[in-house]
Amino acid sequence: MSSGQSLRILIVEDEILIALELESLLQDAGHEVVGIAASSQEAIALSSSHRPDLAFVDVHLADGPTGIEVARSLAGQGVTVLFMTANAKRIPEDYAGAQGIIAKPYTERGVRQALAYVSEGSQETDGGARDQLSFRAGSRGGQAAEPSP
Amino acid sequence: MSDISRAPDVGARALLGEAVAGSSNDAAQREESRFREMENGIHQGGGEAKGNPFAAAFHAARTAMLITDPQQPDNPIVFVNEAFCSLTGYSRGEVIGRNCRFLQGPGTDPEVVDRIRQAVAAGDGIETEILNYRKDGTPFWNCLVISPVRDESGALFYFVGSQQNISANKQAELALIQRTDLLEELVAHRTQDLQAALDQKTALLHEVDHRVKNNLQVISSLVLLKARRIQDEQSQRVLHNLAERISALATVHRLLYSVGDVSRFDLAEFIGDLSTDLSALLPAGQVELALDTEPVSVSAAKAAPIALLTNELVGNAFKHAYPDRRRGRVSIEIAKLGNDLRLVVEDDGIGLKEDSAGHGFGKTLIDMMIRQLKARIEWENANPGTRATVVMPLDSEEAQF
Repeated sequence: MSSGQSLRILIVEDEILIALELESLLQDAGHEVVGIAASSQEAIALSSSHRPDLAFVDVHLADGPTGIEVARSLAGQGVTVLFMTANAKRIPEDYAGAQGIIAKPYTERGVRQALAYVSEGSQETDGGARDQLSFRAGSRGGQAAEPSP
Repeated sequence: MSDISRAPDVGARALLGEAVAGSSNDAAQREESRFREMENGIHQGGGEAKGNPFAAAFHAARTAMLITDPQQPDNPIVFVNEAFCSLTGYSRGEVIGRNCRFLQGPGTDPEVVDRIRQAVAAGDGIETEILNYRKDGTPFWNCLVISPVRDESGALFYFVGSQQNISANKQAELALIQRTDLLEELVAHRTQDLQAALDQKTALLHEVDHRVKNNLQVISSLVLLKARRIQDEQSQRVLHNLAERISALATVHRLLYSVGDVSRFDLAEFIGDLSTDLSALLPAGQVELALDTEPVSVSAAKAAPIALLTNELVGNAFKHAYPDRRRGRVSIEIAKLGNDLRLVVEDDGIGLKEDSAGHGFGKTLIDMMIRQLKARIEWENANPGTRATVVMPLDSEEAQF
């Protein structure tokens, strides 16, 4: 399952338990977590200072439903964004620049599947978790693998 | 004008069969002869106009009637009956020789007037409703019928008009329209209130849904964080099993609220998703998953126990039936049999050991869920492997879908 490629990841999530467990999960999968942000300001600041390859972004943050703005801002900086939310209905049709959505409550398999999509462009569903994932039409995996501009 | 007004008077009397006295001028003579022709046309053999029953009937009719002469300039009235006079308040002398438009007033619809004008100009008949005015200025709704009268060759002779006061009907009609408008306004208002209540309810449901999902994620994270920090393998396994059960419930919640109807639950979709997830516990290709599911929708209340039950049955098959990279196939079947739902989970693995009969808490959990669902479960040796058959009753609504 491991993609063999280590990504630098920012977690934008205000529930600390969820954020910490996700951090462990990502580390187990061989990735580096560059930071955990609970609010939109923190997220944008951490993204500017650490230049992650990928960000997992919750819609509801400590300062309100600001995850959408965060996604737009980070996507504008060239960061690949995946939403992680229990409220997918709030996400606009253009995904606010994000590549996909992982629906909460997600499983470890769901996260691994999404990582595979992002780093390899693999959208196979052999690993299950179909109902947790949706990807923006026309978006391609593999962006995170390209060198940052 | 004076010449016009005299002539029709003569004509009208002629129609009524009265002797046309002093008909010295040519116009009056012509009128008379034309009326006679018409009468003869109607009353075969003609005879004396005096005893003409048609004229008498016309005269005495309760319906207001008039005759106009389109051959004279401006199509003047040449005859009115008593009923017309009592309806409009005008005397015969006041109306003969005038065009009917004096009955119109400020409230008369110009479009209707125009339609009448066009029909008359074309020599056609027309039936319409028009607001007319009496001599004293009071309005009344007039159901006007105008018919052309032609001779045998088709040449236009006269127009006959009948007027009926339909003010009472019209008022009732207007009152009905007003009442209907009022009711519609009321309904629109209530609908708006209901929509607002529904919107509020929907917003609340989304909020609750969001919180339930988020909390499930927190619970699951809590358990998994603990599992990561514990050294004891046995405890770790327990916590992972627990996390899996939470995740089965989480799948239910994802599916429950992703469709419009939150009171129903698509069992086939759920079992498909869950089984595919569980099959990923084993390396790809080791054990094949065969799904044979009929679409069944159950009430949302049953979703959680069915999820836990399925999680145990299918999870057991993948976790325990194929040790040491043993290959095989797990098949899952969902079918409706009358008012029952049949769920079969079958593996071709190592089979149940006589004494273990399940796997501790997993087996207990299965029995509890079976009890809650008022279902039956049968375990069989599938040679090789194990077949579990669950039969649970469906309520009448579930059996339909």
